[in-house]
Parts: sequence; structure tokens; C-alpha cells
Amino acid sequence: MNIKLESGNIFDPQNNIFNKKMDLYIADGKIISKKNIKGKINKIINCSNKIVMPGAIDMHTHIGGGKVNIARLMLEDFHIENNKNFDSSSIIAPSTIKTGLKYIEMGYTTCFEPALLPVNARQAHSEMADIPFIDKGGYALLGNDDFFLDLLRKKASQSMINDYVAFILNATQSIGIKVVNPGGINAFKFNQRALNVDEKSKYYNITPRDIISKLTQSIYDLGIAHPLHVHCSNLGIPGNYLSTIETIKAANSLPIHLTHIQFHSYGNNGDKAFSSASVEISNFLNKIPNLTCDVGQIMFGQTVTMSGDSMSQYRNHNHAHPKKWMCMDIECDAGCGIVPFKYKDKSFVNALQWVIGLEIFLLAEDPWKIFLTTDHPNGAPFTSYPHLIKLLMDRSFRNDILKQLPKSIRDHSILHTLKREYSLNEIAIMTRAAPARILGLQNKGNFSEGSDADITIYDKNNKDIENMFAHPIMVLKDGKVVVENGKVKNYLWGKTQTIKPEYDASIEKVLNKFFDRYHTMKLDNYIITESEMSNLIGSEIVTNKCKYERKQ
Amino acid sequence: MASRIKTNAEKYIVCPFCSLHCDDILSKSDGKKYSISSEASKVSEANKTCLKKIESFNINAKSILTPTIKNKKANLSSALKYTRQILKKQKDAIIVNHGIDVSGVRSMLNFALNYNCSIDHINSKFLYQNIGIVQRTGYMATSLTETKNRGDVIIVFGNNILCKTPRLIEKVLIPSNSLCTNAKNKKIIFIGEFPDKLLKNLSKKYNISYIKTKIDYIPDLLNLLSDIGSIKIPNISKALVTKIKPIISKSKYLVATWSASDFINSKNPDKIIQAISQFILDRNKISRAACMPISGSLGDTTSSQTLTWLTGFPSRIKYAHGSFVHDRNIYNNEIIIDKKNTDVVIHISSLSPNKIKINENLKNIFIGHPNSKFTSQPDVFIPVGIPGIDYEGIMFRTDNVVSVALKKIRAINLPTTKEILDELT
Repeated sequence: MNIKLESGNIFDPQNNIFNKKMDLYIADGKIISKKNIKGKINKIINCSNKIVMPGAIDMHTHIGGGKVNIARLMLEDFHIENNKNFDSSSIIAPSTIKTGLKYIEMGYTTCFEPALLPVNARQAHSEMADIPFIDKGGYALLGNDDFFLDLLRKKASQSMINDYVAFILNATQSIGIKVVNPGGINAFKFNQRALNVDEKSKYYNITPRDIISKLTQSIYDLGIAHPLHVHCSNLGIPGNYLSTIETIKAANSLPIHLTHIQFHSYGNNGDKAFSSASVEISNFLNKIPNLTCDVGQIMFGQTVTMSGDSMSQYRNHNHAHPKKWMCMDIECDAGCGIVPFKYKDKSFVNALQWVIGLEIFLLAEDPWKIFLTTDHPNGAPFTSYPHLIKLLMDRSFRNDILKQLPKSIRDHSILHTLKREYSLNEIAIMTRAAPARILGLQNKGNFSEGSDADITIYDKNNKDIENMFAHPIMVLKDGKVVVENGKVKNYLWGKTQTIKPEYDASIEKVLNKFFDRYHTMKLDNYIITESEMSNLIGSEIVTNKCKYERKQ
Repeated sequence: MASRIKTNAEKYIVCPFCSLHCDDILSKSDGKKYSISSEASKVSEANKTCLKKIESFNINAKSILTPTIKNKKANLSSALKYTRQILKKQKDAIIVNHGIDVSGVRSMLNFALNYNCSIDHINSKFLYQNIGIVQRTGYMATSLTETKNRGDVIIVFGNNILCKTPRLIEKVLIPSNSLCTNAKNKKIIFIGEFPDKLLKNLSKKYNISYIKTKIDYIPDLLNLLSDIGSIKIPNISKALVTKIKPIISKSKYLVATWSASDFINSKNPDKIIQAISQFILDRNKISRAACMPISGSLGDTTSSQTLTWLTGFPSRIKYAHGSFVHDRNIYNNEIIIDKKNTDVVIHISSLSPNKIKINENLKNIFIGHPNSKFTSQPDVFIPVGIPGIDYEGIMFRTDNVVSVALKKIRAINLPTTKEILDELT
């Protein structure tokens, strides 16, 4: 099947194409150059007066796994949405079907679950396999598991740690490694209620800095494209920007990605002992080459927070709205906490959180280093992305909302002084090309020959930018039209993006003993094979290449 | 995958028949008949019970390997055709799930969507007792491996929990090895109405305490142990409470475990579970503690997990007006069937060894394993394989966070539940 997208305004930042009127060609689900097309064009799609971008990529969204399902279960009384063609599940904890429908309607074609517990990976992949349309993937959680902490305590070699990290990526069919509150989740199981970057955990005598250093080194040595994905220590605590900066330093100049940075950019100045540290954090982001961030913007309204950070979630459970919550210790692997929450525009703290996120976006000089997320659903459901884009692109719209917030916010913020408005080019970078690049997805987020024909087409004449991004007129996935005139046309099922670094199989012998002795399942049952992915879980995998051969 | 561990000639299987889903069991098979053994170091009385149960699913003289229509043998295509005829006429059918794997649940949902029928799990009433805490208040939970390695004091509430999960003690509560505690020093406190003989035997081997009391007194007892109130409880001496309190107060990681079905005959099961949960929440103000309910003996957790991610609801749903709606009273299978608020009952049972009640006044379609038993003959019976014996599948363990990959150990050419449901859909 050969398709021609004719005369669209193309945005392809990876290839330095910005708003250029040109044709695109698709053959068998892939982008192809005109000269290489074999046979006739079967279908021509008129794209004049249309903006054509690669399908958007959400690099941090909680869409599958145990904590997501607990939230769905907990918030049963919220499942009363009554939109035609959707199930009644609430968008703050949507069903897998609704997740896929809402993403594809917005032109998102690839999404990543950022907190895939290795022992829960089978569930997370099973859930994600039931999300229609999109490609997906996960970052495996490490840094709180007893096996890893025991390796550090015993001063295991970096090479052995690398073997373990590579094993986990293989065994869990993941594409990256994430650490949440390094060592803190584990310390909470021993009744420690806080753990700063240079504080030793009582049981393992290890600091979060040790964990960050070892894991960033490991990711670098293995040639994994995505830097260590870090949820820093002290989430939500006033003054936490200092521990965020120490976390950056712990990477020793190696690549590191700080996630939902908004929640980690808090000062403790002022009469309310809560202030914005967006300038301090942005200075680091702008000057350190190997540092990237996604924002985790909050929006006002009801949502549910879900995190592997059981230490923080337990600390925050008194803020639950409505008053119900759950925390869980999980399998000597990690933990989780689910706390429903309502961000209120009349609350000084919530309003300042909204401001801090936007300040970070607007202070970031390089759109290749910052990513558009709400940490769905922690800051807000992913369906608020078009609204967020408008906030970034339209200063007067932004300032109108700012004026409605408590007056004291202006004294604590520089937002009203920031004149920057994001361009379409920059939005295309931060929602397409940049996440593809930082995840090592060679075939996504661009229109290079051979790339997946995941394409979103917007109406150029739509002057309401929020509406334009919320309702693309056409979306193609793997070259097939799945949304047309804003309506879902065909169902199809995406693949799972993975990476498979090499490792010395002797690590399995060590793990095998550990599992037989301490776990309640065998190692062999913990490992998810490729055939299990396709035959039982229900998703074919794509194996992405490492950047280079393993260094040690 | 860079490498895989080689298994022995004997094959490890994952037991599908209780919610622990033990995977240290060995099987040998000639393709049709299989035998089960255990790793030599793990043979115990509890283990022997499990092995016998797994072997009992071998094909025997009473096994039904061919579909039946009105108790007469039929080929599969005839059985499917007859089933379709029943379904075509149905106006308000209900699916009663007695236990299936993830693939079966996925297909069950598509089937329900196609025929606009409601879905309930036979154990929903117990499920909702545990879910109730999550949906009403706060809840601290833990999993099997955490309990094994961190739990230093474990309180077991109920009366029959150890029969449902025979290896719970040896695998989880008092294992041979424990990472962060001394396994030999672990303490178990039984609270409830356990068989005296069972506790006598356990006390020979383990460090256990027992507070024998009626289930309904559990909330009051927990108040006494927490120094809240001073209500007198029949047959509970002050000395016993005084003895138990320091065990709890010194705990570093206290685990409370129960099976909701043990409380079903009490006056207020919800109140008991709420009291246990609150007791654990209060402990967390000064130390660490967590709940570990045991459930899922009929694939309850597998069903609730899968339906929740697909619809937002764990059970008792119906597809109507373009989406699934949920009502835990209206779609209660017991009420629907007893009151005949349905015309067709579709029983799906790939795990249960229990005799299943058939309401003869309704049309009954039974998709079940070959050793299924029923109180009277269904209109159609279609035998299907058992996940973990006849085909590979995924099921969830009792702690909800771990799912296991079941293996195939015999080949008797039965279709899977998924295949039958997909065929009918």
C-alpha cells in the first residue's frame, strides 16, 4: 500500500525541516522517498493547509501496572464519565481501552510507562498490550531492590552491576532504567521516614548518591540510549531543589534524566516557607550538557497520584482527596503508593506548583532537553496536554490564568515577567523528535526514510491552538489511517519497544541462588521471554539498538 | 535474551490451583498422564496435600472429554452450534466465572460485549470485602516475598485460611530463609477459631501463640491489644492479652493476614477487616506493619485485575448503551440466578474441583475442565483445558502484584477457554 501525503506543512525537527511545504510518501507502513516507491500510489491524502508532524511521544505516563490498576479500583466512584464511544472509566484512572482511544485522538502514537517494577512487569505489559493503537514501553525500576542494594553493600564490581542492569532490561522487556527515591523506598521498609542524598540507609549503609553513581555509570557502560531516569529524593518537600542539585552531581557528568522536575524544584523561602526554585534548577539544566528533564506540570482539578515512592506517598497520605489511599511494599523489589489528590487554584501551594512547572518550561533554553509531561495522572491527566501547549505558546492566555490565582503568587514568582512563547517548531521538538532521540527510537519521531509512518495531521486554519492539538483531523499509525476527521476509524495494536544489552550469564547463577533462597518464585518464572510477550501477554516487541558496544 | 537457565528433564510447573501459585513443583508427563513431585528439600505434609490435588486433575474414568448436549455426547461443532442457538435467543444472560486465566478473562469480556450479558465471579462477595477497605479508607499492604523476608511478627486471623493455601506457613510465614530477619525467631499469633489439632502440630515446630476467640470479637480484641477501651471478651484472659502485647509492640515489621471467606459467617465481615486494617495503620505511626489478605483460590485476583484494567471495574459488570456499567448488587450472580433475573447462565470453570450448582429452571451453558462436577446436567457442556496443565497462561497470585506464567504439561487436545469463547463471539 503506497500513500502520498500531498502538500502538507511538514515539521520534522530531526531532519531540520520546519514548516516546509512538501509531500510525504508511505509504503507498507514506513516512510519512503519518492524515488524508492515501487508501483502506483494507492491513496493520496490532501494535506494542503495542514500541519504534518510525526506522531507524538509521551515519554513519562503511568498507563499500566499494579499501581495504575489499584487507582482504577480505588476510584470506582469516579468511573461515571459518559462520553459516546468511550467506557465510563474516569480519565484520571482510565481503562486500557480508553487510554488508547484518548491518546490516539490527540495524535500520540507512542507512550512509556515509567515505573515498571521488574516483578510486576508481566502485569504491566499485559495491561499495556490491551491499550489499542499506540506503541509502548517501560522503564524498569532499580535502586530499591534488595538484590541490588546487597551488591552495593558488598562492593560488587561495576561490571557485575552492569550485568545485573542488563539482565533486568532483558528479563523485563524494558527500554530503560528508572530509580525512584534512590534507596528511600527500601529504607521505608526499615521504618526510615526520610533519606537525603548523602544520608546512609540504616540497613544497607548506602546513600542515594552511591546508587545514582553506580546506575548512571552502568547505563553509560552498556550503551543504553535513555539516560538513567531519576525520580529524585525528597519529592514535594520544600527546599528539595538542593537535593535535586546533589542528585545531578551524583551522576558525575554522565547522562541523567530527571523526571517530573517540577515536584523537585521547591525552595523554602518566604513567609510560607514554600517558594519556587525554578531559576536554580533551570540554570543547571541550561549549563549541563548531559542533563535532561521532563516537567510533570500540574493542572487544577481532581486527579490521583501514583508512585513507586511509598516513602513519599505515605508522608502525603493525609492530603488525600477524597480521604482514601493505599501504600504497598512489594516483593523486595520496590513499593507503591496511591493517593487521590485535588489541585486547587485557590491554594497557595498548588498555585505555586502550577507556576513552577511553567517557569521551568519557559526558562529552558534548549527544547531538546525538556519534555512535555504532566506525569499522568500525578500532575494532571494526559488529556490536558493541548491546554498545556497553549499555556506555553500563548503568553496572554497564560497571564490571564495567572491573574486568577492568589495575589501572593506574583510575589513568589517570575512567571509574569517571562515573555517567551513556544513556537510550533519547539513544540514539535519537545513532543516528537527529542523524546525519540533520548529514548533511542531511531524509527520514531521523524520522517526519515524507513521510519514508522506514525503521523499526525492538524488543521492549520484552526486558530485555537489548544483545540488544534486536542483534535487532529487525521492520525496514521504504521501507515494506516486510524483517526479521520477527528473520529477513530480503525482499531489496531501497537508493539512494545525494548532494548537488549549484552550481559554475562553468570549473573543468572547468582540471581538463581538469591531467588531460591529469598523469593517466593523462581527466577525462571520472573523472566519474561519474547515468545511470552507475543503469545501470552499479547504484544510483539521491537528491539532497539544500543548506542555502542558495552564498555565494561 | 542473552541466556536462559536450563531446566532438568523433569519440568517445573506453576501450580494453577491455589493463589500462592507455587513454582517449585516438578512434573513428569507421557503426554497424557502426568505425575507431580517436589524438590527433595521441600517435601512437607502441606506440600503432599498440594501434590495430590494437582495429580487429581489427571484424566480418569469420570472425565468428560467430549462435549455434551443435554447429557448426550456431541462433537464440538454441534455443541457450538447448539450454544449459539441458545445465545441467539437469550435476552439477559449472565456469565459466572469460576476460575480462568488472563486470556480467558479477555475473551470473556469480548463475549459479554457481543451478547450484552453481565459478568460476575463466584467469589465476588469475598473480593468486595477486601476491596472495600481500599475504596473507603487507607490501607497498607505487603506481598508474599516481603512477608517472607521482613515480617518478624505475623498475625493470622480466621479459621480455615491454611486449608486454602496449604504451603503458606512453610513458604511465606516461617520459611527456612529470611533476608532481613532471623527466620527462626519469627513469631506467629493466631487469632480466631483454628482447629486445635492444627495448632498443636504447628506449635511443635514453630514459635506460635494462639488467641482463641469467636471471629466477631476480633475488632474488640484488637482494641484491647492497642490499649483502646477495656471491654471484656468471653474466654480471653487479661494474662493472655498481656503476654501478646509486647510481642506486637516489639515487632519491626508486623504482617496481618486473613482470608475474607473465613469471616463470611460473622455478623459483620467488613467491620472485622476494617478493624484489622486500622490496627495496621496505627502500628505504622511508630513502626512498620502491613496487611496481606489471602484470596484468589478460584482465579479471583486474575479476574478482578484483568477486568479492572479493561473496564475500570473488578466484577459485576454489564455491557449496556456503549460501555460497561457496574453495580455490585444488581449484577450479583447469586441474586440474579436465585431470582431468575436471567434466562441463560454461562458457567466458565477451568480450575475448580468443586461441584457447581446448576439452576435447572434456567438454560445452562457450561464451559469447564474435563473433571468438572455439577449438581445437575447443563444444557451444553464443552470441555476445555486447564491453564497450567493443558496450555500456557497467566494468572495472578494472591498478593495481586505478581503474576505467573503457567506452563503446559500434557496434550489431550482440548481447546482453551479463550478459543471456545472467541469461537462463540
